[in-house]
Amino acid sequence: MNVTRDFAPPFSLIAPFFLLGTIFYVLSAFGLFTLDVDASFTSFSTIAWVHLYLLGFVMMVIFGAMAQLVPVVIEVGHAKVDFFYIIWPMLGIGTLAMVFGFAFAPSVLPYGGLIVLTSMVIFASDLFATLRRGEHSSIVVSTMKSSNIFLLLGILSGFIMSLAFGGVLHVNPNHWLEAHVFAVFGGYVLLTIMGLSMILLPMFGLSHGFNDRPMLYAYRLMIVGVSSVMAGSLIGINFIKYFGILSVIASVLSYFYQIYLIYKTRARKENDVWVKSLFFAFFALALALIESIVYLLGASEAWVVSAGWFLIVGFAGFLITSHLYKIIPFLVWFERYAPLVGKEKVPMLNEMVPIREAYIQMYVTAIGVMMVGLALLFRVDTLFNAGVSVLVVGVLFLLMSVYRMMQYGKEVL
Amino acid sequence: MISKEDAFKAISNVIDPEVGFNLVEMGLIYDAVSDDDNNVLVTMTLSTRACPLHQMMVQWVEEAVMKHTDAASCRAEVVWEPEWSFDMAEQHVKDKLNQFANRSV
Repeated sequence: MNVTRDFAPPFSLIAPFFLLGTIFYVLSAFGLFTLDVDASFTSFSTIAWVHLYLLGFVMMVIFGAMAQLVPVVIEVGHAKVDFFYIIWPMLGIGTLAMVFGFAFAPSVLPYGGLIVLTSMVIFASDLFATLRRGEHSSIVVSTMKSSNIFLLLGILSGFIMSLAFGGVLHVNPNHWLEAHVFAVFGGYVLLTIMGLSMILLPMFGLSHGFNDRPMLYAYRLMIVGVSSVMAGSLIGINFIKYFGILSVIASVLSYFYQIYLIYKTRARKENDVWVKSLFFAFFALALALIESIVYLLGASEAWVVSAGWFLIVGFAGFLITSHLYKIIPFLVWFERYAPLVGKEKVPMLNEMVPIREAYIQMYVTAIGVMMVGLALLFRVDTLFNAGVSVLVVGVLFLLMSVYRMMQYGKEVL
Repeated sequence: MISKEDAFKAISNVIDPEVGFNLVEMGLIYDAVSDDDNNVLVTMTLSTRACPLHQMMVQWVEEAVMKHTDAASCRAEVVWEPEWSFDMAEQHVKDKLNQFANRSV
């Protein structure tokens, strides 16, 4: 069968993003052993770990998912699909250099930062060029455009900070910190997750006929919120900054309601590892939201550190791993079995998921996330180390699951 | 001339690998008409606009009709109106998907 795949990039281009991303997740889990519960948000060791996890795992997987989904959503091929062959090595090398810089040698930071910046500029330039080719207009497309503008702003502010840390530029990096964090995590990661949720959740859950206004409000509130925090922190006006934070919280609440509407209208009632992982992800997001509000009301820094943990590892981590069990089987199936349709029996996508490993990964990682989150909140070192140990086991099961899914049916080729 | 029933029967060989049901029982095939020269036009939809299998589904439908009927040619056209909903699926598909509620797979 001559299968047409004009829009879809080849498996060899997408697969490294998911495999490397998972390896970075494993490295991040082991990296937690170098931290303790007293680590401040602004200490170099904490910042090194956050970059290892967010750039190496979260960004890497999101870039891979975007490479696959953007052409499908707007029904045109990538403007420069070959760019993706250099994005993942640059992002990987740049991340390692930055982590090394934060942990051991600040003078290396500008180099690592420059490599990461370049990889992201390449990613964003392909994305904007691809979006311009398509005629499709929707809230998802708007989300993609806005989130990538925030990505560039976030990375530029981060690069300015890395020049300051490296002694090249004489500015106070602390003035740029909040702008950088909100632009990258709120403006890029959260907005991208929101946009992708509007495609992936209804697609896998067969949800139809739901109201999508809450997503529109969430989108607008996030843009207003992140822009306000960036402006407020850079010009030093706290009122604008706090208004922005409230707007971001309102955005997340509206997004929550949107997810509820999608869940309520789903036709597919199966509670598989994907659904259960999503439940934990949104539970962690709710915890992060509550802890953030308590912190804003005057509680200690431990509350916001714990909130940050639940947000990036509980929410973003589980949202990503849940979708790995959907996206990787699809990519492998598309590459190895699609040409065989009509000629011989081909597997269903759910048959390609190693169920036992996937469930062990989900439960063990969830326990580890809860233990570490509580340890950070109550400052209990023993619980922290125990939680990290449990988390490492869970993440190793993820690596095993990803490897087995990628190997499925390799003899078919 | 190829009848609508024959075309639908041919297309029922095409399985959605994500849900495991064929496209006809999912209610994704709206119509199939043939002219006197056995050129078949299938009108179909997809469960989501962002379906990554969009192009392949269309191709599988066209090839199934060509393989299992005497069609001289087949063209499948994807439409988004009326929008597909779960109500369009056959009863046994609905029963099966609902059956999974609270089951750990």
